Amino acid sequence: MSMVDQLPNLGRESEMLAAMGLTSMDDLFSDIPEAVRRNSPLDLPPPQTEEEIWRDAQRLLSANVPVNSRPSFIGAGLYANHVPSMVPMMATRGEFLTSYTPYQPEVSQGMLQAMWEFQTMISELVGLPVANVSMYDASTAAAEALTTAVRVLNRKVEQKDTVYVSELVPEHRFSVIQNYTQGGGIEVKRLPHTEDGCLDMEAAKGAAGSCAVYVEQPNAFGIADEGIALLKEILGDTTALIIGVNVVSLGLMEAPGHYGADIVVGEGQPFGIGPTGGGPVYGIFACKQDFIRQMPGRIVGLSHDTDGQRAFTLTLSTREQHIRRHRATSNICSNETLIALMGAMHMALLGPSGLEILSTRNAAAAMLTEKKLLEINGVESAHPRASHFNEFVIRLPGPAEELCQHLDRRGITPGLPIEALFPEMESNLLLVSCTDQTSDGDVTALVAGVSGWVEEVSA
Amino acid sequence: MSDIFAFRGSEDAGYAQPAPIADAEAAKERIPVSLRRAERAAWPTASEPELVRHYTWLSQRNFGIDTGFYPLGSCTMKHNPRVNERIVQLAGMNDVHPLAPAHHLQGLMAIFHEMQEMLGHCAGMDAVTLQPVAGAQGEFTAIRCIQEYHRSIGQSHRDKVIVPDSAHGTNPASAAMCGYSIIEIPSGEDGRLDLDALRAVVGDDTAAMMITNPSTLGVFEPDIAEAAQIVHDAGGQMYYDGANFNAIIGRTNPGLMGFDAVHYNLHKTFSQPHGGGGPGSGPIGVKTHLAEFLPSPIVGRRPSEEGEIGAGDGWWYTWEAPENSIGKVHQWHGNAGAVVRSWAFYRRYGRDLRTMSEHAVLNANYLRHRIMNPSPEIREKIHAMPADGCPADVVKHEFTLSMTPLVDAIGANGKDVAKRLLDYGYMAPTLYFPMIVPECLMIEPTETESKEALDKFADDFHAVLSEDAEILTTAPHTTDVKRVDEVWAARNLILRHPKKDDA
Repeated sequence: MSMVDQLPNLGRESEMLAAMGLTSMDDLFSDIPEAVRRNSPLDLPPPQTEEEIWRDAQRLLSANVPVNSRPSFIGAGLYANHVPSMVPMMATRGEFLTSYTPYQPEVSQGMLQAMWEFQTMISELVGLPVANVSMYDASTAAAEALTTAVRVLNRKVEQKDTVYVSELVPEHRFSVIQNYTQGGGIEVKRLPHTEDGCLDMEAAKGAAGSCAVYVEQPNAFGIADEGIALLKEILGDTTALIIGVNVVSLGLMEAPGHYGADIVVGEGQPFGIGPTGGGPVYGIFACKQDFIRQMPGRIVGLSHDTDGQRAFTLTLSTREQHIRRHRATSNICSNETLIALMGAMHMALLGPSGLEILSTRNAAAAMLTEKKLLEINGVESAHPRASHFNEFVIRLPGPAEELCQHLDRRGITPGLPIEALFPEMESNLLLVSCTDQTSDGDVTALVAGVSGWVEEVSA
Repeated sequence: MSDIFAFRGSEDAGYAQPAPIADAEAAKERIPVSLRRAERAAWPTASEPELVRHYTWLSQRNFGIDTGFYPLGSCTMKHNPRVNERIVQLAGMNDVHPLAPAHHLQGLMAIFHEMQEMLGHCAGMDAVTLQPVAGAQGEFTAIRCIQEYHRSIGQSHRDKVIVPDSAHGTNPASAAMCGYSIIEIPSGEDGRLDLDALRAVVGDDTAAMMITNPSTLGVFEPDIAEAAQIVHDAGGQMYYDGANFNAIIGRTNPGLMGFDAVHYNLHKTFSQPHGGGGPGSGPIGVKTHLAEFLPSPIVGRRPSEEGEIGAGDGWWYTWEAPENSIGKVHQWHGNAGAVVRSWAFYRRYGRDLRTMSEHAVLNANYLRHRIMNPSPEIREKIHAMPADGCPADVVKHEFTLSMTPLVDAIGANGKDVAKRLLDYGYMAPTLYFPMIVPECLMIEPTETESKEALDKFADDFHAVLSEDAEILTTAPHTTDVKRVDEVWAARNLILRHPKKDDA
């Protein structure tokens, strides 16, 4: 008999088969034609007990290097953070953890209300009236924002089937955008940037008359770009302005909905979950009223039951694949609800002032780190005229990859070579990311490490 | 009623944080004046004690597998072993960055590699990527690979994807997102794939056929190998929707059936918890000719060298980029945490994944038998027995029932039965899908329900079928709220708390 401890009916097979008038488990698979049957056992190891799995998992995962285990300045859209203990403890309550999409609202009010509250908090955060229950990540949120904008605006614009994406959207996100847009015959053009690391506003004028423009604020160099706040005026009503945000920045930075964004997307991760190897995280997606009927993803609406009691339910499902099939606005079905729930809990706990403090801590850490690094002879700012939030780019006297390897051996992760995000850019550039988890000691260690390496390189 | 926006704590009494490590005012001034936030987000002002009660209250108004039997067909709502949750809370999982150097991620990459190999073996596929984060995204990714494959061999004129009318809605939606036109073929009168209907539509424009087997009716398609032959002869590719993979592991596989590409739902077959709608994970497996197009990166390995400790298993893991990769479908490496949970689940079964599938099928057949064969005394009380959604001696992991006879007998429909089951403490079966079965209820018990739980459900199902129409049509009666007005919600679109004026 199998060693597996997850099967309540193990050892009771004959009893159940007999009740059906069958004699063997093979009878249950008699409908599989001989030609496609597998008769040999699976070539896999025997089952393990929980105890053995737990031991193996600890061994394997302790071979990884957690970002918070050392001074670490790696970010680029996914950040080290502290998630309040309440969040995983409440979110993994079995009633939340083991529920499916709330198709039966009468027994799913808890998750539905929590997601309606999530929609409200995201709406408040970005300054737009409607948010969905989550996308897979920031890249798919951006990609589906572009296809949404094309569906809504293509009939009204001169540059049909055309969207513009900032050149400062890094390769790992741009590649996703390409995969999602190519099928619809959408042409994706790039918007250039200036030497200051900001959007080239002159060139941006050329995007007026297209379906949409996608830019990020702060951008991949960590720059808070003032030009982006003026973009909507240049683009006009019929070109959608889509802005990708760092959600933590919005404690200090203006909500993009207040300077003309039609759709706001971003990585929700810093609220709710650690960087977690890149997933599960969640993409946020919020938009103006005009885009509601073409937006992707699940949406919760307020309603009432037959007694007139307040009740929530999924709504606008006629946009979705299970109803509209190939005419659906998106194929998205499973999303990242549980992680959005964690985000909601984290946001609710922070509250309005907690968000501002969190945002300030990020900005302060970057301010201090940048100042100290730039005091090192041989280290320069790549964008000295620009304003930064929690990330910035420095130019080193040698390849950034070499610095990373040098400091890694000393227990420090100094950041990410820009080449990893933009393969065509110069190899001496390093993206340094700070968060609320960056300590004084981390900055001291980084500065000492970089100084030592610069001296070696310059010698 | 608990309302998160009704807590009236002071704005400044929120979650306490350490002070910034540099001057706060100077830090704020780093943001250009024109981009500074004018007004704070109107988030709740609540303390931890209040929020813990709020979310506990909400959780008690939510039904999960932990609450009770969840026979939601096609969703494979099986028990989620708890050690899996404990594992992903380890710092070596929760706190690792995907762009960190590969030698910081050797343990995670070892698990990825093991999962790639295991999934490939179970499905009879040659190469696997773990990047897609949902079943629908797996479909999209695989169809993109097929698209690039056709382009690479001068077959880019193939612009049609064939799906049976019983297919999941994501199949046509995913293919349409890749730019294909969809041809939907009718099922035969017995609910099975109709080879003549397939022959009638294949041709030089066929890019692929997307199908799940067992079908959404829960029955194995006996002609699947012949269907694959027909599509291949026409120059098309065969895509296997892995939503129903829980039924067949170790007994057959998509490779044997003639498929070229497959997606797996780790949140179904391999117990990644559904969490109210996600996260999921939708890896795909392909035959060799499609492997060069898979999303990048994939984990490869070589024997470790002197001084390379890595995961401690004698291997050194590397990120590999397939030669003609379609690029990326997720900006990181997919839902790594879901992959790790599923790895822990797989380790619990090992080669006995076959036993797992056998028990899923045993439970489905047993429950179907119990529902369709009530004792004469019980049968006498039932207004009308449901009709089989699809005639079959045996089903696989799920089955469909048509409630049309009940509608004819007393006017209560499938939805009424579903809602009444909520009163008995069950999640409702999948309702009105597949669309080819009128008044359909689709029931999937999974392998983790005991015989007693199945017996009790069958008895309660019979009890529901014996109740007055009035009780059924006004159900549910004992849930947190009664039947919810979904039409009103769609007409009025109140999609956020009306605390502030809309932007």
